Order: sequence, then C-alpha cells, then structure tokens
Amino acid sequence: MTAIRIEQLTRTFGPVRAVDNISLDIAHGELFTLLGPSGCGKTTLLRMIAGFVEVESGSISFGDRRIDNLPAHRRDTGMVFQNYAIFPNHTVAENVAYGLKARKVSAADIKSRVDKALERVRLAGYGPRSPHQLSGGQLQRVAIARALVIEPAVLLFDEPLSNLDAQLRTEMRIEIRQLQQALGLTAIYVTHDQEEALAISDRIAVLRHGKVEQVDTPERIYRMPQTAFVAEFLGSTNMVPGVAKAFDGRNTQVAAAGTEFLVRGEVAAPGAPVLLSLRPEALRLSDGSDAALVHARLALREFLGPVQRLHATLPDGTRLRVSALGGAAFDALPGAPLVLAYDPAQIIAFPAP
Amino acid sequence: MKRFATIVALGSLVLLAVFLLYPLALVLDASVRIDGTGAFTFGNYAAIVKSRYYLGSIGNSLLAAGLATGLACAIGIPLAFCLARVDVPGRALLLTLASLPLVLPSFVSAYALVLLFGHAGVVTTALRGIGIPIGSIYGMPGIVIVFTLTLYPYVVMPVLAGFQAVDASMEEAARNLGGSQSYAVRTVLLPIVMPAILAGGLLVFIEALENFGVPAVLAEDRPFLAVDIFKLFAGESDANPAAAGALSVLLIACTALALLVQRHYLGKRRFSTSARSAPAKLSLTPGLRLAAAIMSWGIVIVSLLPFAAVLMVSVLRFRGPVLTWELGLDNYATLLSGSYRPLLNTLTLASVAAVATMLIGAPIGYVVARHRSRLSGLLDFVGMVPFAVSGTILAIGLIVAFNSGPLVLTGGWLILVIAYVVRKLPFAIRSSSAIVHQLDPSLEEASVNLGVSPSKTFATLTVPLMASGLVGGLVLVWITAASELSATIVLYSSRWATTTVVMYHAIEGTGAGLAAAAAAVLILVTAIPLLLINRRVNKQEATVI
Repeated sequence: MTAIRIEQLTRTFGPVRAVDNISLDIAHGELFTLLGPSGCGKTTLLRMIAGFVEVESGSISFGDRRIDNLPAHRRDTGMVFQNYAIFPNHTVAENVAYGLKARKVSAADIKSRVDKALERVRLAGYGPRSPHQLSGGQLQRVAIARALVIEPAVLLFDEPLSNLDAQLRTEMRIEIRQLQQALGLTAIYVTHDQEEALAISDRIAVLRHGKVEQVDTPERIYRMPQTAFVAEFLGSTNMVPGVAKAFDGRNTQVAAAGTEFLVRGEVAAPGAPVLLSLRPEALRLSDGSDAALVHARLALREFLGPVQRLHATLPDGTRLRVSALGGAAFDALPGAPLVLAYDPAQIIAFPAP
Repeated sequence: MKRFATIVALGSLVLLAVFLLYPLALVLDASVRIDGTGAFTFGNYAAIVKSRYYLGSIGNSLLAAGLATGLACAIGIPLAFCLARVDVPGRALLLTLASLPLVLPSFVSAYALVLLFGHAGVVTTALRGIGIPIGSIYGMPGIVIVFTLTLYPYVVMPVLAGFQAVDASMEEAARNLGGSQSYAVRTVLLPIVMPAILAGGLLVFIEALENFGVPAVLAEDRPFLAVDIFKLFAGESDANPAAAGALSVLLIACTALALLVQRHYLGKRRFSTSARSAPAKLSLTPGLRLAAAIMSWGIVIVSLLPFAAVLMVSVLRFRGPVLTWELGLDNYATLLSGSYRPLLNTLTLASVAAVATMLIGAPIGYVVARHRSRLSGLLDFVGMVPFAVSGTILAIGLIVAFNSGPLVLTGGWLILVIAYVVRKLPFAIRSSSAIVHQLDPSLEEASVNLGVSPSKTFATLTVPLMASGLVGGLVLVWITAASELSATIVLYSSRWATTTVVMYHAIEGTGAGLAAAAAAVLILVTAIPLLLINRRVNKQEATVI
C-alpha cells in the first residue's frame, strides 16, 4: 500500500521558486496528475519525488516511510521519461530486465517477469530486438514495461506521451490508465495537456508558479474551477470582465461587454468588479424558449467537423467563442444577428484580480 | 549523484594541484628569487627587459606566432569554405588528409625543410649545381612556413563546422528578403563564422608560441622563447634557472592572455550548430570549380609534402651529411643497431600515458558536462590550464618539484608519463565532455531510477555509451604523446630516451640519416593508428577544437 504524502515541499533555483510550499496527499492506487503550463514546477516536483532534484525544505513520504533523504536509486519508483530513455546499447529484454538485475532477482525469475511485462504492453516476442528497430510508440511501451516490471512503490510519468503523434497519444493514454488500474499501482503523472489530464486522472493538481491552484477530480476541476487561472487553463473558456449588480435571491446580474449576464448565486457585492468564465459549450443558439439570453452578431464561423465554432461579437466588441454541433443546420453569414442562450448555473464568476 | 561528482572533482583537483599547479608555482617562485641565495627580487624580469637578446627572443616568438596565425587563416578559411560549399572532387579524402598535419610531429616537418632547403639540402644543392643561389630558410621564414603548414587545420576544422552550421534557410531568408549573394555572405555567413575563425586563429597563435621543436630545428642563431627557456634551464654552460623561470612566466602570460581574450569573445557569441539542412553547394563555372579544387588539394598536398619527403629520404643512403640517390635501409639499420630501447620507450610511454589520460580525463569530462557546480566550474578551469603552459615549462616545473623531497620522480619513466598526462588532459576532458553532451541525461536517470547507484551507472552504462568516442580520444592522445618533444627533452634520462629524443640529438649532431629514419618511424607510428580510426577522429576533432 503506497499512499504518498508531500508536506510543505519547497525548492528554489536562484530567485525562482520552482516548487513553493506544496502539500499533497495521494491515495494508494490513485492516478494523480500534476497539470500546468511549462515552468509551473510540475516536472521539478516529480523529479524531487524521484530523487533527481534535491529537497530544500519539507518532506516526501511513501506510506509511513520518509523517502526524501534516500538517494534516487533506493527510492523504489518506476519512472517513464518523456524521451523514453531506452538504453541504446541494450536489447529490449535487457532494458526491461535492467531494474530486476539491480535488485538481484534470479535469472529464471527475470526471464519470466520480463516476458510477462512485455506481454502486458503488447510487445511479446520483441525481447531480442534492438531499440533502434522500434517505433516511438513501441519504445514508449518498452519504457512502461521497464518501469512496471520492478513493481515499484510508485509509478512516475514525466510527460510520457508528448513525443508521440496525436492518434497514438490518445491510444497510449488509455493503455497507461488500464495498466495502472489493473496493477493497482499509485501513479503520479505530469502533463501540460489538459485533455490528457482530464481523460486519465483520478485527481488533478493544477500548478502555477510553483503553487497548487486546485486539487480535485477532473469533473470538478473543469466544472467548478476555483480560480480564474484554472478556468482558463482547462478548456478554452471565454473570460469576460464585468461589474456585479443586484442579487435577486437566485441569480446575480453582472454588467459585462455592453450587455448583462445572469450568474447563479450571490457572487459579489453590488459594484464589485468580477471576471466571468463562459465555456463555449455553455452557450448555445437560442430557439426562443430560454430565459437567459444575450444578443450578439456573428463575426466568423469555423467548421471543425463534429462541432462548429462561432465567433460572436458582443455589443461592446468583445469576442465570444460558442460551440455548436457540426450537424446543426446553420448558414448565417458574418454580420447576422445571433441570440445566445445559457444556463446561469454554468457561468462562473471570479473576483477580478 | 552529487557525491560521485564531488569525489571525482576533489580527486582530480588534488592530482592537478600536485602535478600542475605546484610545479608551476615553483617556476613562478624561481622567477622572483635571486639564484643561489633565494632572496626575493624582480631583478630577473628587469634583466630580461634590459637584455636586447631576450627582448629579441620574445619579439621573434610573438612575430613568428602572429605571422603563422595570419597565414594559417589566409589558407584555412578559403579551404574551409571550399570544403563546405564547393563540390571539390575527393572531398572526403581531402578532409581526412587536411587533419593529418595536426597530429604529425611538427618538428619532423621542420626537419624535412632542412633536408630539402637546408645548407646541404637536396633542393639547395641541386639548384646551386645549376647556378641558381637560394636564400636561407633558417630563422623566421622557415619557422613561419612550418607553423603555417602544420597548424592551419586548427583554423579549417572550426571554420568548416561554422560554415556547415549555417542552416540553408538562413541564407535563403537573406536572399528572399532581397539581399544579393555577396550581401548574404557579408551579413549572415561571416558573422556566424567569425567566432570560429577567432577560436582557430588563437589556437594557432598559442601552439606556435609554445612550440619548442620547430625553432629548435630551424632557428639557428635567432633567439626564440621556447628554445631559450630550455637552454637557460638545461644548458651546460649558461644555465640560469631564475631567468628561465622569468621567461616562462612571460610566455605563460602571453598564452593565458590569448586564451582569456578568446574565452571572453566566445562567451558572448555562440552560433547554433544544429543546422537542419546543410547549405547547398555553390554552382560554379567549370573554371572556378577547377581553381577551387587546385587550391584545396594544393594546400593539403603542400602541407603533407615535407612528411612524404622525410619518408623518401629515410630510404636513401647518406655519405656523411651528404645525401646520395642510392636506395637502402642503412638509416634504419643505424637507428636500430644502437638499441631498440628508444622505440620501445616511445610505444610504452605513449600507451601508459594515453590510458591514464583517458582514465582521468573521462570522469572529469563527465562531471564538467553533467554536474554544474562551483567545484566543477573550478575543475573545468584548472583542467584547461595546461593549454596555456608549454611542455618545456611544465617539465621544468616537474623537475624542480620532484627532484628532491618526499616524492622523487626525476630520471624515471613516471615523470614523463605525468608530463604527457597533464599536457593532454585538456584534450581528454574536452573530448569526453563533448561525448557526454550528446548523451541524453535521462538515460542515466533511468538507470538510477531502476535502482543502480550513480557510480555503478557511470561505469556500466555511461562508459560503454561513451566508448566509441573515448577510443578516438585515446588514439589521439597516444599519437601526440608518442611524438612529444618539448617536455620529453627536459625530462628524459638515458634509460628512458624516446624516438623523438634520438631524432633531436641526431639533428643537433651530424646523424642526418639517423634523424631521417627516426622521423620516418615517428610518422608511421602516428599516421597508422590515425588512419585506422580516421572517421571517428575527424568528427571528434571538430567537436573538440
């Protein structure tokens, strides 16, 4: 059982606080994702757990055992690297056997465990091959087999899919998720790809400037972002500044972009500046029966196949992106008036910075 | 990982302190002492400044080095451009041959000049026979010619890399934006290549300034720094260690200054060497292409001619100092009849030194490339100090340091090996750190992550991955150690005389045939291993320089 506890972890590089007083509790068997833009500290945090970056202050524990003072080679983590890091001078089987040999596992056991691991990643029979004979996706599977076969306390993934093409990426993330669940291993997964994070995680920590912005399930992170940064980073939301007005007991009126929006709940005192997050899919073309409406004009239409994206201009010129189904008949020309409907419960207001 | 780096860094620093910094400190110390009494004085420097002879010596050395640098650039830059951008026939072979003069012993080239154009030289005698008098090649002209012809590859290699590093799209962008071909060359190509030119030129300057063998063979009566230092220290009649120390310090100051200028300049200008598509070959008229081919091949052939001449002369008979046109292996017989010992010494010492240099240099190169810290920065700096110290000066320091006291090394083989190792260490460090830079650090992290300790990872993963590159470095160190003269001539004892020493004494004396045979042996000993691994070495030299 490996739950991970990270307490008040800090690491600075010169003037930069790469990891700034981060505390996290990760449950056993959880796939926990560190998500954020480049430079947010996610990789530094992962490398601190692996032992490649020294801890300045704070602690990391696997279960009851504090591990941040152990050297990297004795931490019992299995790391999958962004560029695979397959040893080019060893065969596929030797690569997978590498950690077992270091653990002095008997030769017979090594053979059976390596075979089983390669089978698990659908590379049975690839053992004798040289790494340079394998494709990128296959190398990534070898890297995963190599990390899995030692049955580590914790699996660490450092942007493992970023070097693969788009289609392979979506396939591999499903494989990684299924393997992790089947083996019941605790895993920490670093990525900057929000879709990947939403797709495979049990929970996500969104990082920014070395600090945790929010830790939650994918659904809650997406639907109930606690900060404007989280709302903006996940999905391509429309951020519109406005000013709160009266609260009518159910919704708050917000004046923004030359018109008015209704937001569920009392979001701010009247007169307070706010920032509205309007998800493109929370807006739709009105069929005339809706209560909450916004009037706009069509500026541009992008047809993307399954969906089409409408760019609508609000009265003060602010642009909004609106997602509509691609199949819906819609042939308005730029400049045509649009009536947009929304559910006030799906609009989120943040205090303006 | 940090512990491993610290252990390597501290161990290497101790070695360098004992065998490099301590001897140098003693040389510096000797330069400010009154010979005999040991009292502090600046008198030695004052004496040099007042002495017309020593000022002449400094002036000659600087002048020869300066002229050689200018000429090496003048032939090296066009050659590099032709190799990079003109479809010269036999380009691959040309590239291999162009790097040869760097590792062949330069004083052999100087000796070839004497054989051909000296007082009793083949060409001199022949021309005099038909009534054409020929000027003397001794002194400045001969020395500058030999420096130019043996050191120009230092310019070619980095400048060629520079020309090839310019991505085709950059020149295309310049042209697309309306620049003419010459405008593109002036505004895009030259600025990018300029740092490489300076880097190469300064290397020529330093090497020429420090070189002992070439002026020893060709200077005759003209004073040269490297030779004077040796004579002042080891001379039988006019020994003056204090003055030798003062001159040494001045020589080191000159080279160190040149190195610092280079470092300062290059620190601010870095060109990316990651061209995606090498620039296209120029489409030239047949006439221009022929001219380019003749020039390129001409430079390389002329620079290798002296070595060919030595090989040829070595199989001709000498009657006294006079060459005859009779074929025969008499010279080799004379060389080997004395003893096999020097040849054996050369092979043994070079082998031990090469292995030791790589064993010490590879971990240093690894630490310097992988673990940036104050300690590794210091190691990087101290490890480059031997660049600025000529072999003669290091040897003098070693003798002063280990002639008495707790560790006596003079007269043995170890002191020669130490001198070779220290002198070649910068090369070993540079080449191994260049190899390490090409290795993905996550490979080592993956190994450590899987449970293998950092020191074991270095030994079982990193070293095998570096192996092919290290072999190239090993051979180059072996070659340069085998043809080392400037430190050897100070440090050898009769039991441990090498082929270079035999040759030096044969030139000094009257053993012209013996010298030719020894020179030929040196050429073979250095060229054969080089040709065996030439592709690897070519690549490495480009990265090292």
